Amino acid sequence: MYQWLDERLEISRLYHKFLRKAFPVHHSFFLGEITLFAFITLVLTGIFLTLNYEPSIRPTELPDGRTVPAAYASVLYIDSLPFGAVIRSIHHWSAHIMIAAAFLHMLRVLLSGAYKKPRELNWLVGLGLLGLAVVTAFTGYALPYDNYAVTATRIGYGIGASIPWVGPTVAQIMFGGEFPGSEMAIPRLYSLHVLWLPLTLIALISLHMVIMIKQKHTQPKYAERIAPGKILGVPMYPQQLVMMSIVFLLYLAVVSFIGGVFIAHPIEAFGPPTPQTPAVKPDWYFLWIYGILQVIPSEWQFRLFGALISPEFLGGVVVPGILILAAVLLPFVDTRSDKQRYLELPSQHPLRTSVTLGVLVFFIMATLAGYKIDFQQAGSPLGDNRVLWVLLLVVPAVTTLVSFVLIKNLYGAKNEASGQLEPKAGD
Amino acid sequence: MYRNDTIIPFFALLFSAALFLMSYLNGQRIAVLTGHKPEELSVGQIGLMAFAAVLFIYGAIGYISAWLEGQELRPGRHFPEPSTSPLVAGIVLVLLLTAMGGFFVQLLVYSAQSGQNPTWLQGGFFAAMALIIAALLAIYKKFYQREEVVTEDEHSEVPW
Repeated sequence: MYQWLDERLEISRLYHKFLRKAFPVHHSFFLGEITLFAFITLVLTGIFLTLNYEPSIRPTELPDGRTVPAAYASVLYIDSLPFGAVIRSIHHWSAHIMIAAAFLHMLRVLLSGAYKKPRELNWLVGLGLLGLAVVTAFTGYALPYDNYAVTATRIGYGIGASIPWVGPTVAQIMFGGEFPGSEMAIPRLYSLHVLWLPLTLIALISLHMVIMIKQKHTQPKYAERIAPGKILGVPMYPQQLVMMSIVFLLYLAVVSFIGGVFIAHPIEAFGPPTPQTPAVKPDWYFLWIYGILQVIPSEWQFRLFGALISPEFLGGVVVPGILILAAVLLPFVDTRSDKQRYLELPSQHPLRTSVTLGVLVFFIMATLAGYKIDFQQAGSPLGDNRVLWVLLLVVPAVTTLVSFVLIKNLYGAKNEASGQLEPKAGD
Repeated sequence: MYRNDTIIPFFALLFSAALFLMSYLNGQRIAVLTGHKPEELSVGQIGLMAFAAVLFIYGAIGYISAWLEGQELRPGRHFPEPSTSPLVAGIVLVLLLTAMGGFFVQLLVYSAQSGQNPTWLQGGFFAAMALIIAALLAIYKKFYQREEVVTEDEHSEVPW
């Protein structure tokens, strides 16, 4: 059979040219693989869900006599199938895990300097992938059409519609009309969630991989000592494939266990949409934006060229936009002429490492601000807007400063003494 | 970042445990867990558990990679030493996998007939089966697969 195929398709040439590609071995590369496997799991479980889900809000009568939207009823049906609730839960958890893994993967790339020349393009593709993953997760959030999801999605609709000049058009494209209310909203979100956004994600993931294969991995530093000027690794087939299979199975085990024990979005508990709006928060990856919206005073609004610049636009679009712009420009700040071949040690780049830590603390503080109302209800000083502004601005700045001084003093002298050649294990 | 050691994976596992603890496994929640009822998680808990899951997988595969592939690669071919113990372990795991598969199917049949969906048990059995297959692959790689470490020119013609 192999010979028959080889005579016609020359698959042995494919093996020698492509499948023997050297894969450098380092644990940090697995973060990207976890992201990929989360996406594959999302596609596989998503196929099962599409077979049973009805993207409509037409009234449907349940066996117990209640009249609920068809989308809600179809998700209840999925949950009643043997293993159906677990598959839906795995789908839900995989979306969260994919975003968390993509974020940590980018953090690793940032801290190890792997975004530098020649990998600037792949850094940008990665940023696009993270953004698209978040948007795809958001479009899927409202699909069960329960009371909680509808209310949470309304916050996102409000942010989208607040963009001056283009907001209503963006909201129209994303939601097919007003949300909630429009009958076109669920079919539109469904189409984006199961077709257009996953297709774009697949295209971008393929581009990401092809560029990575062409440019090669940044290697662990020890490879410079063992095979200078070469890429040192194991062949993609069979060795790397076996390792990837182990990661995938480990991923599947963890997500199945969590998905089975902790049903992430139990719609039966939330119930179908009602006029009473429940106290909700957006998903955790939007909570930092929600936190910024909580601390921006409502009087911060003005008119510009006839359009209203609202607090929602400032907190929900401008601040994230500045951070995204900084991430886009980052690889172009470094104007080196030679290629980045090996992973850099965070301790040898104190400025980059300390600024990254500062930004991380900003995200944590902004997420904390998302609980402002809860703090106020509990009588905590964290419910005070002034305290939250201090946490948002001062704590990240102090973190950056202190970590910079610490890294410089702790590692600076050591690096100079050792000539930055042979770090110890764990560096 | 210098070599494929287990320092960062160790801290990943440590952080993972801390995040799980922060998100769910406090005394109150354990009481709810023992009842195995669907429990509404807050968005904060879901976020912490998502990061905990990623760090757990990353930490575990970091240790597995260091065990299977070593801390540093050396170019050339490496042959495994034949041994009986991994073979015995493999047979035991295959038997266990068969039993687990049988239990899992029984569970699905029970759910279809009774309308009861013990999700924690279904997820647990499925997770156990995936873990056993992962362990079998790890045994194969460690004790039976011929290893090769290759070097490649930076300017290869792959894919163009």
